Amino acid sequence: MALEAISKQEIKSLIESYENDRRHALRIMQDMQRIYNYVPREGLEALAERFSCPVSSLYSLATFYRALSLKPKGKNVIKVCDGTACHIRGSANLIGSIGRELDIAPGETTEDGMFSLELVNCLGSCALAPVMVVNEKYYSKVSMGQLAGIFNKIREGEDQ
Amino acid sequence: MVITIDGIECECEYGEFLRDIATRCEIEIPALCNHGGLPGQGCCRVCIVEVEIKGWKTVVASCIYPVEQECIVYTNSDKIKRQRAMVLSLMRARAPASKEIELLCSKFGASRNERFIEQEGEKCILCGLCAKTCESIGSGAISTINRGINKDVSTPYDEPSEACLGCGACSEICPTSAIEMEEQGSLRKIWGKAFDLVSCEVCGKPYATTQELDRNAKVLGEPASRLCDVCRRKAIADVLAKTFGS
Ligand code: SF4
Ligand code: FES
Repeated sequence: MALEAISKQEIKSLIESYENDRRHALRIMQDMQRIYNYVPREGLEALAERFSCPVSSLYSLATFYRALSLKPKGKNVIKVCDGTACHIRGSANLIGSIGRELDIAPGETTEDGMFSLELVNCLGSCALAPVMVVNEKYYSKVSMGQLAGIFNKIREGEDQ
Repeated sequence: MVITIDGIECECEYGEFLRDIATRCEIEIPALCNHGGLPGQGCCRVCIVEVEIKGWKTVVASCIYPVEQECIVYTNSDKIKRQRAMVLSLMRARAPASKEIELLCSKFGASRNERFIEQEGEKCILCGLCAKTCESIGSGAISTINRGINKDVSTPYDEPSEACLGCGACSEICPTSAIEMEEQGSLRKIWGKAFDLVSCEVCGKPYATTQELDRNAKVLGEPASRLCDVCRRKAIADVLAKTFGS
């Protein structure tokens, strides 16, 4: 969802759909992440107000979990496995190539907001090493030569 | 209940924390993340001791170990000395700029270990005591953020925090003097924010921030006295002297 679409009203109704109890903080932040692709500052502050708790305690939570991000993630999240098997089969090189191809480092998002690159630990598919997952689609035994093609396809898919 | 610490018999209640018992019996157990005003954090591990129950020995963090049965405690066995030195070596790698850590290292024979890469200029051991303090006085301006090797202590978004009163409690409680608080005349700077200091009505020394006094007044329900610590103590002593005759 686009940035301008974040309305105070929307955040408010999301927050109020949960009971006023701090233990729901994480679930609400997960919802925000799903809806906006990140946990917006407005959301964090509204949450603090609702629970009458310091913003810092929610900020602490939001920075602790990898599943939450404070900056918008790309439309397509590329997860590259850097577990033992993938590492041995060259995931480090793969990560480097993706970085060069898209001009981002792990944890970053491309300027056009199309791709984010994330490193994950074992995906449990060691036989497919090195594995890359984009939008829940698995790419097995990825070689550097395939990358440009894969990313172009994803971009085109977006154009449709 | 009576337990034995380093051969000394110590009277204690069920559930009391080991380090508190030792402190009361004047047996010193080193600690970094433990402060009387707050519950134990159990994260620095400098306070480890060996506890022997029915012949079984275990290593525990004494600041958070509740004594529930009779036991024999060793605060300085060979094993503890070795492990404590290792903990301190690791801590020095994390916070090589801290004088307090350096002091503990030399006191407990923690050698420099080439394998541990030192984080130049760092003083913070990430114990979280500062954040706990800030939270417990009701401000909650700072917290621990991120995790693993990226863990840090900060205000939200690394910006000057609205919640910060400039009281400096975090800087005061920090066991490694890692939080900088600058004071110049009647100006105090901490966490990227500047505060005006109010002067003591008697001696004229700038001693607290306006925000801090406002908060105190709110908690007390009446305006807080405008006296610094020293003058307030004097004032109380005067009242006592008058009441009971000197
Ligand atoms: S700044 Fe001090 S009190 Fe806070 S986490 Fe670091 S060492 Fe602990
Ligand atoms: S003082 Fe016990 S773990 Fe830090």
